[in-house]
Amino acid sequence: TLTEDAFGLLRYVKFHSSNFENILMWDSGPASTPDMVYNVLYKRYGETEWLAKAGCQRTKQKSCNLTMETGNFTEFYYANVSVVSSGIQITSKRSERFNSLQHTTIKPPAVTCIPQVRSIQMLIHPTFTPVLSEDGHQLTLEEIFQDLFYRLELHVNHTYLMHLEGKQREYEFLGLTPDTQFLGYITILAPMWSKESAPYVCQVKTLPDRTWT
Amino acid sequence: GVAVLPAPQNLTVLSINMKHLLMWNAVAQLRETVLYSVEYQGEYESLYMSHIWIPSSQCSPTKGLECDITDDITATVPYNFRVRAMLGSQTSAWSTLERPFNRNSTVLIPPRMEVTEHGLHLVIKLEDLGPQFEFPVVYWSQEPGAKEHVKVVKSGDSPVHLETMEPGAVYCVKAQALVKAIGRHSAFSQTQCVEMQGEALPLA
Amino acid sequence: EFRFGPCRVEGVVLSELWEAFSAMKSTVQTQDDITSVRLLKSQVLHNVSDAESCYLVHSLLKFYLNTVFKNYPSKVAKFKISKSFSTLANNFFVIVSKLHPSKDKDMLSISESAHRRFLLFCKAFKQMDTEAALVKAFGEVDILLTWMQNFYHL
Repeated sequence: TLTEDAFGLLRYVKFHSSNFENILMWDSGPASTPDMVYNVLYKRYGETEWLAKAGCQRTKQKSCNLTMETGNFTEFYYANVSVVSSGIQITSKRSERFNSLQHTTIKPPAVTCIPQVRSIQMLIHPTFTPVLSEDGHQLTLEEIFQDLFYRLELHVNHTYLMHLEGKQREYEFLGLTPDTQFLGYITILAPMWSKESAPYVCQVKTLPDRTWT
Repeated sequence: GVAVLPAPQNLTVLSINMKHLLMWNAVAQLRETVLYSVEYQGEYESLYMSHIWIPSSQCSPTKGLECDITDDITATVPYNFRVRAMLGSQTSAWSTLERPFNRNSTVLIPPRMEVTEHGLHLVIKLEDLGPQFEFPVVYWSQEPGAKEHVKVVKSGDSPVHLETMEPGAVYCVKAQALVKAIGRHSAFSQTQCVEMQGEALPLA
Repeated sequence: EFRFGPCRVEGVVLSELWEAFSAMKSTVQTQDDITSVRLLKSQVLHNVSDAESCYLVHSLLKFYLNTVFKNYPSKVAKFKISKSFSTLANNFFVIVSKLHPSKDKDMLSISESAHRRFLLFCKAFKQMDTEAALVKAFGEVDILLTWMQNFYHL
């Protein structure tokens, strides 16, 4: 059962997940002593047995990478952190129920912005995740979120914005003025899960028009 | 006998573009400030647990004679509302909305719209009506035989570039408001036309 | 809209349901200390065919409306989650009222397959203390929404 942390030894046992990299984090409490170490267990919701996470036993760290152990995004997991001092477990605390599909946040995309004279090209690079497919290849965000699309906004001198969106990875804003500064914002959206990344921002200047010189 | 505080009368709901306002008549009390408390229940509560009423998120209590119940209505089902008056320790009986209100009866009116040209860019600014709205925008050139184009603008918070146009041509635009949650849309707005600059170099 | 095989449901915004449940998830799931039992197991929800889905979602949502939500008001008030609870309950009510699973004879084997899945869920529910089962079922609404999401189209 969940042991109440009456001694202020252990706080905020919580999963932090972005792009399906699932890190369990916690904090020591005011009553902690330098000799204290931590043991991490995890299990699938609905199963009886807790499993020890190798590499996070008797650790002084306050985080533990459980990406592979919690990688099945159709499953739900719990983690448990216990505090050990002089070989004796003093207290422990359970995380909330975790599911990476629900809880992961999406990082900004990697984008290359290429200025031309009257246009700007934007090439969005695929985002690979630690999640493996059945044949062992790393899944991209596009493969996990079926409804994923990209939204591109080009801000034109604080007056209006040009807007493109779609599932492809190559875009071009046309009809621009040469030798002019633009600000591009590119975000990844997975609307079914109400997920939206922070924008990748690129500041870019169109090339001068030398046709008449 | 002790004067009983009368219950508020004439409860009505005014709903325009998914903004829902519950209104009622004042309870007259000389030189005293009467407060009002609003509660609601959805169809589920009224059928399965009719004793359960939920305090409105905005008006429990309020001094006004109206209450913005938009945030309380989060399903497309009939909702009951009730209001009572409070004065010091006195509390009136509840007065209940005569007919339950369903958000699918909201009046949808076209969005305000501003069409401008920036160099060869046709730009539209739409009224921000909130996250439940999308705006199908139809635009066309006045050239003979020109085709209509449709673009769905997701939100109204900033001016959006519709298309890069031909110099010297006149383009016309109209828009409507669409609410997927209730599967309805407004009429089209009035058409607005704008002439693209001639041969001059386009400005950013 | 939802498309559970032939059954179509419009007028429900899935993100509103997620928003409502997320507002109470921590409160509700923390009440469930029995981490070794899961009511909506993978045998109930995995590999459900489109044809089965209408029968199964109809049975599950009716159970939630008639049993889980109906017996939950005391906790709702205590945990101050009335608004979120009302959003979920009324939207589940909309879905059930718009679902009309076919009663054709040639659908019998499919409806029975869906019923067997539903009985698995009921059996796990009845094997628990009623109070604990109500708390657990309510806490598993995110598992239910995750499955329903497979049939949602923007």
